[in-house]
Amino acid sequence: MNAPRKIIHIDCDCFYASVEMRDDPSLRDVPLAIGGAADRRGVIATCNYPARTFGVRSAMPTSRALRLCPTLVLLPPDFERYRAASRAVHRIFRDYTDRIEPLSLDEAYLDVTGCDACHGSATLIAREIRARIEAEVGITASAGVAGNKLIAKIASDWNKPNGQLVVTPAEVDAFISPLPVDKLWGVGKVTAQRLHQLGLHTCADLRGWSQQALVTRFGKLGRSLYHQCRGDDNRPVEGGGRRKSLSVEHTYPRDLPALDDCLAQLPRLLADFTQRLARADPDEPPHKAFVKIKYHDFTQTTMECVCAAPDAAVFERLLRDAWPRGQRPVRLLGIGVRFADAAPVTDPTLPLWLGDEPVV
Amino acid sequence: MQLLQAERDALLKPLATVTGIVERRHTLPILSNVLIQKSGDTLAFTGTDLEIQIASTQADGFSGNDFALTVSAKKLSDILRAIPDKSVVTFEENESRLTVKAGKSRFALQTLPSADFPTLSVDTNLRATVRMPQGQLKALLGRVQYAMAHQDIRYYLNGLFLVTEGNHLKLVATDGHRLAYASAELETSFDKNEVILPRKTILELYKLLQEVDDEVTIDIAGNQVKFSFGNVVIHSKVVDGKFPDYNRVIPQNNDKLLTIERPLLLAALQRAAILSNEKFRGVRLVLTDGVLKILCNNNEQEEAQEEVEVDYTGAPLDIGFNIQYLLDVLTNLSVEQLNFTFGDVNSSVLVTIADNEHFKYIVMPMRI
Repeated sequence: MNAPRKIIHIDCDCFYASVEMRDDPSLRDVPLAIGGAADRRGVIATCNYPARTFGVRSAMPTSRALRLCPTLVLLPPDFERYRAASRAVHRIFRDYTDRIEPLSLDEAYLDVTGCDACHGSATLIAREIRARIEAEVGITASAGVAGNKLIAKIASDWNKPNGQLVVTPAEVDAFISPLPVDKLWGVGKVTAQRLHQLGLHTCADLRGWSQQALVTRFGKLGRSLYHQCRGDDNRPVEGGGRRKSLSVEHTYPRDLPALDDCLAQLPRLLADFTQRLARADPDEPPHKAFVKIKYHDFTQTTMECVCAAPDAAVFERLLRDAWPRGQRPVRLLGIGVRFADAAPVTDPTLPLWLGDEPVV
Repeated sequence: MQLLQAERDALLKPLATVTGIVERRHTLPILSNVLIQKSGDTLAFTGTDLEIQIASTQADGFSGNDFALTVSAKKLSDILRAIPDKSVVTFEENESRLTVKAGKSRFALQTLPSADFPTLSVDTNLRATVRMPQGQLKALLGRVQYAMAHQDIRYYLNGLFLVTEGNHLKLVATDGHRLAYASAELETSFDKNEVILPRKTILELYKLLQEVDDEVTIDIAGNQVKFSFGNVVIHSKVVDGKFPDYNRVIPQNNDKLLTIERPLLLAALQRAAILSNEKFRGVRLVLTDGVLKILCNNNEQEEAQEEVEVDYTGAPLDIGFNIQYLLDVLTNLSVEQLNFTFGDVNSSVLVTIADNEHFKYIVMPMRI
């Protein structure tokens, strides 16, 4: 099965901020950010383009954002409204394909291979979807169109905001060669630094290395890098929206000095978590439970265990086991669960039931 | 202080009974342990994974004081297995350690307090108590347990559906593609009770039941089922979920009857399976007057063909199945003859035993 695929990566432009600006147009031309308050150690979730000209970025501590841009309008997030907008966007996706892999509220891969809409042109489908998002939801989105998820995702970033880029199979080489290695999947700050130290700055540089050499240096990631720098990516668009994990975390206004203070916070986290788990209503029980601890010096650790029905005792145990790794004051605690990787059902035998209804 | 002295087997047997469910690594360290309690002349071993709890008792005139402690199930059973048969084993307790002595060997093991061992709180809201010979329950389980789903997203399929209705006990297992049903008549009549027992419980129960006429008692409570037989008591939580309606997938209008010798079909399918596709495991059954043709091929275009003479007079049929589903029913039943009743290429086949309403197996076809 080597017919070229047609993948679209759609990414709404500064999604939370766009929803806020849609609902209050007076926010359009002022620097706007959505995030937690500075005095509560909040971070910026999203900011609009005027804010970005000041250097404000997502994941930046709010206190720093306010230093960069003292006139910044800061709003607390309103996830109910964002979710509603996200659902509206997804309804539009579904008019074109069922093969949708949501990455977050505002981002998704669409596999439109073999779709009939727009004469089967992925370029036109992407354009139409973006136009409909703007008309029906009132926000803008950018798109990347390519033969796989890797290139589509990089391409959607190219003409942001409110733009799109198509990379045909013939153009992949020219597109990927000059690309900085930092753009590749799995390359964060640390790996980027290691790559740079080896003189590897672009994908073209990476291509000079054998798979063997990359694997020796970078393990599993090495193999992925070997393929990524050639623009190869055969990961399927995984629809069905399988949730991989569910968690809650909280950054405390004041560091929690000792283990007992951390333990004292567990009931509240657990209450939040239980509520979220109930709302998410996953199709299956969790596979693992975990706790995450971020210490005051920003080092962090997680500990997990196999557990289908985590309760207070399980999280307490994990926390007691994990905390001694740092033995320092704690600024953030998180608890959550991971769900098992879907064992893809490959049995082509017909089902006995579809939903509750017998097939026969 | 000496706690106990006994022959190796008197300890190993009850220990092995309860260790099957004990997880080796768990966040709660005590769950890797086995609870050992001596009370009067009775010694009890208990293991749990919080879903299932198995206890096994021995009343072999143990002397000495009563005690209770927990110790690593894996280590203790490894030790007992490794020492010679018929050795006399001594348990001693020194501070918080258990010393196991046999001959010139000695092992000092860490213990955890028995008070910390999480025992299931017994659900006393009893709805039905079913009694039958152990061997009968084991045979019933053997006819259905292979069809349970394994790690299915539909968690309620990863188990066995147990129903009491009138004077019948019914067991149903399905993975969504095939379904096995077995029932037995009981001496007493019951209200309708339905529970889903976890897969792990069923596999463990099947392993521990003996092929004897001694009785097993099944106590069905609201959210727990208890099985008692011999020296063993298993408490199992039930799976909270709705089992699909199995009655409605039993085909009613299939008209193409094939009666076939089970060992003959099993052997032919086992040979053909050598060349079935490893991933999809497809097999084609081609039925014509008097002949069943069995065809398998794999990715490398290799082919197997078997021809079996059969007493078949129905309309011709060319239908595909996952060969494993057919092998499963053929290997888990011990009868000589089976009836396969087919519909069309898109409908399920019903496998039954002639003049026997107590067994049904249904397999959906695959398109080949």
